Amino acid sequence: MMITDACVFPYPNGLSSVRRMAQEAAALGFDSIVAADTPSCTAGDIPVFFGLMISAQSVKEVTTQVKRGNGPGVIVSVQARDNGFNRAVCGMRGVHILRDIHLADKYAFDHVTAKIAAESGTAIDLDLSPLISGRGHVRQKAIHRYLDILTLRYRYKFPLTISSGARSVLGMRSVREISGICSIIGMDEEDIEQALGGVAETTAPKEMPVRVIS
Amino acid sequence: MSVRPPTLREKRRYLLARIEPCGVPLEAKDLYYTIHEAATSLWGDMMVATMHPAVIALEEGYAILRCRRGTERECTIALSTITTCRDHQIALRIIAASGTIESLRDRIGVMGSYVPQGRVRALNEECTFDTRTFEVVHCDGHKLDVIEKGFKNTHRLFLTTEDLEEK
Repeated sequence: MMITDACVFPYPNGLSSVRRMAQEAAALGFDSIVAADTPSCTAGDIPVFFGLMISAQSVKEVTTQVKRGNGPGVIVSVQARDNGFNRAVCGMRGVHILRDIHLADKYAFDHVTAKIAAESGTAIDLDLSPLISGRGHVRQKAIHRYLDILTLRYRYKFPLTISSGARSVLGMRSVREISGICSIIGMDEEDIEQALGGVAETTAPKEMPVRVIS
Repeated sequence: MSVRPPTLREKRRYLLARIEPCGVPLEAKDLYYTIHEAATSLWGDMMVATMHPAVIALEEGYAILRCRRGTERECTIALSTITTCRDHQIALRIIAASGTIESLRDRIGVMGSYVPQGRVRALNEECTFDTRTFEVVHCDGHKLDVIEKGFKNTHRLFLTTEDLEEK
């Protein structure tokens, strides 16, 4: 299983170069990272995937950007919006991750969206930055939203990813620290392990259904 | 109040944490308040009272922290939510937990001090990255921490020596 930080923001979006972030990630126990708007490469002995972060107002806009940007080694993440948008995006081919669910409204992710995500293999990202750096209402809201997502996950088994959302090496956390933080929202060891390997799971080629050939 | 005999004293655990970034000027008191704020925000007053966190010492770029035995997990989670201390962006990387301060000091001795170094490039040496001039504040192996020249209170950039060769 490949342990991956599903979203970091290297320079110029953040304060660390992608090489430094990759080095730090390797030291913190990760096997790979997804770097926003940074070409795929290998740095610090670990693969860095190109994270295409789409923040669009409409589904049409997402479709255009996915068509334009999708390719091998590209992890496409779309920022969550309202319920209708999320349903459409979760079922869209080429979209790997629905992120920033904690910023969307309360009913943005329901059982129908969860079912669509499970069927299409789209992962839901748990961004740990509001749990790490948020205080008070911001953190409480994120915890509440993640608890809600986990309830739906136990029922529908859609993939999860975990991201630090780090903008510098100081924002990155070790696998052990991430396990500790995730335990706050009631994730057990198995859930955390699966979620850390969520990027590999969501990008793996889909198994073909059984065909009767004679 | 008289000192209790050892068998009646509360059991404690000591945590060793590396302070990132290297060379950030921190006071033990400020770090104590930061830890307290982070722990209270996450776990609440009841848990923090049970946890009883404290800063024992800041030595050679490391912090030796104390908590009550059995609350190490809660304490380390609270420590991982620390992002700033007195306007400095920091991160505490937990390295070890032990029953004695002495063993943690031995560990520091094995790992070596974590203070600003200029191994590949000299400290305060100028370098250029992305058409801007920076000053080296720490250089250890391939890791390079720089601050932009000519501005006050600018952010620290975390690079590698390869980044400078490329740009």
